[in-house]
Amino acid sequence: MFAIVEEPIDVGALVSAAQRPDCGAISTFVGTTRVDESGGASVEYLEYEAYRPMAERKLEEIGAEIEERWDAREVRIVHRVGRVDPGEASVAIVVAAPRRGPAFEASRYAIERIKEMVPIWKREVWSDGYVWVGSQVGTREPVEE
Amino acid sequence: MEGIRVLLFGAAADRAGTRETRVPAGEITLRELWPLLTERHPDLSPMRDTLAFAVNGEYARGDARVSPGDEVAVLPPVSGG
Repeated sequence: MFAIVEEPIDVGALVSAAQRPDCGAISTFVGTTRVDESGGASVEYLEYEAYRPMAERKLEEIGAEIEERWDAREVRIVHRVGRVDPGEASVAIVVAAPRRGPAFEASRYAIERIKEMVPIWKREVWSDGYVWVGSQVGTREPVEE
Repeated sequence: MEGIRVLLFGAAADRAGTRETRVPAGEITLRELWPLLTERHPDLSPMRDTLAFAVNGEYARGDARVSPGDEVAVLPPVSGG
């Protein structure tokens, strides 16, 4: 299951759905929104957008890449879009495999590939403006660190 | 004229002031499309070197050809996760 969703991610349900009798390991990676501070301002929330059909297809491709490289029997990736408040899950990756090594490696691989090539963008909304992460474009004045 | 549909995302949509535009053109390459796009949305110009492009939902290079009816997407550096 590879999906872009607008609602909060139910990580527990994703993990349960991946349990299988032929697998001895389920590795789960959950990316959560972190609040940064600089120049007396702080991040209030993050907002994600996606080029949806392409993003979902790229998540599926990551699943296929994992199945080529490791003996993984079940891969589920869900990425949330829209407003995500501090501490909430923006992405969840679940990999079920017969053995723990491949499960760990594949879940790490999935998040790195997402950051590399899935068309999703995040905007940090600060108390004094916003910034598109990666582009450094926004309404917030650059802060001297 | 149908033209080429261009979708803009993230910082590129911000800079262009729109999320979707149409460029009146026949069959051209992405490289040839770019000046037609920046003519309409000059604030996009400084982003050129950071952008990737997709044609009909798949990453494409500058020499990829597009025709009226195709969907081109302007993709700033991705920042999911």
